[in-house]
Amino acid sequence: MPFATPLALLGLLFVPLVVAMYLLKLRREPTTVPSTLLWDRLVADVEANAPWQRLRRSLLLLLQLLLVLALAILAARPFLERPAGLAGDLVLVVDASASMGATDVEPNRLEAAKVAALEALRELPAGGRVSVVATGRTARVVANATTDLGRVRQAIASIEVTATTGDLGDALRLAGALAARSVDAEILVATDAALPSPPTARVDTPVRVLQVGRDRKNQAIAALAVRTAPSAVTRSVFVSVANLDFEPAERRIELYGDDRLLEARDVFLDPQARADVVIDDVPRNVAVVEVRLVASDDSAGAPDRLAIDDRAWAVVPPDQLRRILLVGEGDPYLETALSYLPNTELYGVEPDAYGPGTKPELFDLVIFESFVPTTLPPTAILAIAPPRTSPVGEVTGTLRNPGIGALGPDEPILRYVDLTTTHIAQAERLVLPNWARTVIPGPGGAPLLYIGDRAGQRTAVLAFEPRRSDLPLQVAFPILLANLAGELLGGSAGPADAVAPGSPVSLPIPAGATGLVVTRPDGSTVELAPGTPGAAAVTFTQTDLVGVYSAQPVRPPATPDPSASATPSAAPSASAAPTAPPVDPDAPIRFAVDLFDIDESTIAPGSVAAIEALGRAPTPSASPGTGGSGSGASASDRQPARDELWGPILLIALVLLCVEWAVYQRDALLRGWRTLSARVRPRAGEGG
Amino acid sequence: MTVGRMTAPARPAFLPSEVDPTVFDEAFLRQLERLLLLLKAPVRGGLKGGRRSVKRGQSVEFADYRDYSLGDDLRQLDWNVYARLERLFVKLFVEEEDVTVTFLIDASASMAAGSPDKLQFAKRAAAALGYIGLASEDRVVVAALAGRTARRQSALRGSGRVFRLLSNLSAIAVADGPTDLLAAARHAAAQLTGRGVVVLISDLLDPSADHVIRDLAGTGSELIVLHVLSPQELDPVFEGDLRLVDAETGDGVDVTVDLATLDGYKARLAAWKDGFAELARKRRASYVDLPTDLPLAELVFAELRRRRVLG
Repeated sequence: MPFATPLALLGLLFVPLVVAMYLLKLRREPTTVPSTLLWDRLVADVEANAPWQRLRRSLLLLLQLLLVLALAILAARPFLERPAGLAGDLVLVVDASASMGATDVEPNRLEAAKVAALEALRELPAGGRVSVVATGRTARVVANATTDLGRVRQAIASIEVTATTGDLGDALRLAGALAARSVDAEILVATDAALPSPPTARVDTPVRVLQVGRDRKNQAIAALAVRTAPSAVTRSVFVSVANLDFEPAERRIELYGDDRLLEARDVFLDPQARADVVIDDVPRNVAVVEVRLVASDDSAGAPDRLAIDDRAWAVVPPDQLRRILLVGEGDPYLETALSYLPNTELYGVEPDAYGPGTKPELFDLVIFESFVPTTLPPTAILAIAPPRTSPVGEVTGTLRNPGIGALGPDEPILRYVDLTTTHIAQAERLVLPNWARTVIPGPGGAPLLYIGDRAGQRTAVLAFEPRRSDLPLQVAFPILLANLAGELLGGSAGPADAVAPGSPVSLPIPAGATGLVVTRPDGSTVELAPGTPGAAAVTFTQTDLVGVYSAQPVRPPATPDPSASATPSAAPSASAAPTAPPVDPDAPIRFAVDLFDIDESTIAPGSVAAIEALGRAPTPSASPGTGGSGSGASASDRQPARDELWGPILLIALVLLCVEWAVYQRDALLRGWRTLSARVRPRAGEGG
Repeated sequence: MTVGRMTAPARPAFLPSEVDPTVFDEAFLRQLERLLLLLKAPVRGGLKGGRRSVKRGQSVEFADYRDYSLGDDLRQLDWNVYARLERLFVKLFVEEEDVTVTFLIDASASMAAGSPDKLQFAKRAAAALGYIGLASEDRVVVAALAGRTARRQSALRGSGRVFRLLSNLSAIAVADGPTDLLAAARHAAAQLTGRGVVVLISDLLDPSADHVIRDLAGTGSELIVLHVLSPQELDPVFEGDLRLVDAETGDGVDVTVDLATLDGYKARLAAWKDGFAELARKRRASYVDLPTDLPLAELVFAELRRRRVLG
């Protein structure tokens, strides 16, 4: 039997040492007794006068000799050799994407993949090097070309399931670069292969896949949005649930507002289909909504194997005071309708007085009535009956008594708006720009109302003055205006976009704050400071957990800056924050991180061959017992694999140790047994 | 700062200074007066005492008749028998004589061992039994077996000599050197005058202890053996690799004390004691084994009565 460290057999020199210990006469503690009369015969066999005593038969001696023998052999690391099934330089890619958290195998796919990977490492030739790459949103090397299998096991154990979408192509490219350093290399991928499409990366190294997972039973929350009604009075929650299984499923959607259950609704999900649910009348004071997809009472037989996509969060945009500037001669109908919009302040200026001094950029919406300035302000614009061609639209003429075309039933701006009895006396003939969509079509393709994003600014154009129609006399007018304003003001009307796990987020730093403290969903906090003093935003990247993140501004302890007062000049500037800047500068900035990735929620194991086809075809010199794998021309020159026999030897040593202890302590054990028997016996007598 | 000081037990006012005050208190002495040493057979004593004698004499207990002979005391004639039979008979009565109770106390070095130590226990037992003898008008002799001799004290008689008895017992101390128990016992046997009761109080930790019993039983006196052993000897608590040193001889033996060794020791101890009991039974002697942690009251009022030593 070969040994990995034969020098350790020198430990057998302890055998004569143990024997010598038994040959040496014990140093005995003198104890005075009244008489040795009764002891004489009992000790006749241990009498010895020399410092060395006769070696007697002793069970303890035998056990200790066996223990020394076992420990010496254990230290020498005996092993058995067999042909290696893996290349000498192995790059192990472990998929840690969200789908690897599926529990169709116990305890989950990632743990099963780790076990499979460790099992596969037994095929590594002696002295083989292993690199470990964990792939989540990005690939990272957790162990690099090490021959220490202990470190490799530690590195594999450190890999945890992420909430991110996996990029196997990136990981394969990285693994290919690592494998390119050796001629006898192989890439081993432990994954569920649940990919929407095979990666495009190709590597010049044989690729083998250890596939885990066998089920596709999963239902997921595919989308969650909170919409404030255009009137800004009520809020609605929009939930989209997808059933990715081939069997129908019944699930219950639970809606929580600030951790309080607001509503539960059962939904029936067809196979491979989505169901959209809108829950209205969410209370105004709710800041965060959470949706949980749980089993309904009748869904005992339809398991959901992936838990991470069964919860989703959304941050409700806070109410915000918006400023609207009306530039025009003054239309009482228009002014009255605008003044009834909630959370708005209406300002008015005549066209002659409009100019740079008006500071239109401080307003959230500027309405030009029969007037278009030369330079458009960098904010949302509603142009009413523009008299001339301008960036907001091309005016080609005038329409007399234009009729209203067919209205789109799903147009949100026309929600609750009835224009069937509306008559328009005169309107401008406009050409629909390519950045806009028609809301109210007119005759001959000329739109009467269109809206769109013009150079990043929400812009809408109404072709007619309200007072030149009977619209102001109808109920539809204030509703249309409220819907239009809500759409143009953005923020409150737009959904609070969820951030994908692992994506960086740009967080605005309020004026006067030196940084942010971000509290993650697990309660951990991250302090963020801008790279340059006075920067308006800072990037946060630790969004690997799904849930709600809260960023609290950090204020310096100095006296408050008088310039940072709540004047329009201090109004928040536009930012790429997921929510609109809060009204209170010290209010926390919240944003939600949700998976919302149907591809990742589709946990059906994919094609192994498609992934293995990305690598170079293995040479036919594969060793037996490994399923025909093997790589490179040097496969036949590989070192054999070793099976170290430390397990059974360690077990034997432990058994010997226990027996030796029991023999040494047999008096104490016997005394305990006698005491126990003496206690039990009277009780048994009482019972009888 | 107040430093506490150990105080000796209060000495009763009636105790002489040479008496160890820890031996008895007054209430205990009163209880002893009610007890009497039981003898298995009538004894031949000297002076008139409180025990039945083989002789006929002047007591109230009728024993027998014999024919009248000239010179007999006419007061002893049974006139009722004469009236029926017209023959003269003299009534004989049981004579009551005293008896000599000799306490042989082993004062060898091994008797100093144990907690409480065996010599202390032996002295208290001898004092208790001796007081009983004094109270029943017996003669009480105390002898200490030490070295190769028996140091015999003068005989005491009458309950008024109890303090003298206690003084004699208090004077007994452990011998310095080794003790030849057989030689000392033979020396004591040679000092016995007439037949009486011999009470040997010893741990019998001597190779010739059986000869001691045999010789003392052969003196004609009634032998009572009180075999005292300490709890540490009855159930040793030490364990491990030890060198046991004999307190008397200084000889040592190496022993590895484990449960098996202790079990063997206890078996041997039991057989050893059984041997003494069997020997005593054969020699018509009484054998009582006593642990030294036995309370003295229990020894006197329960254990010795149960063994028919006291009545």
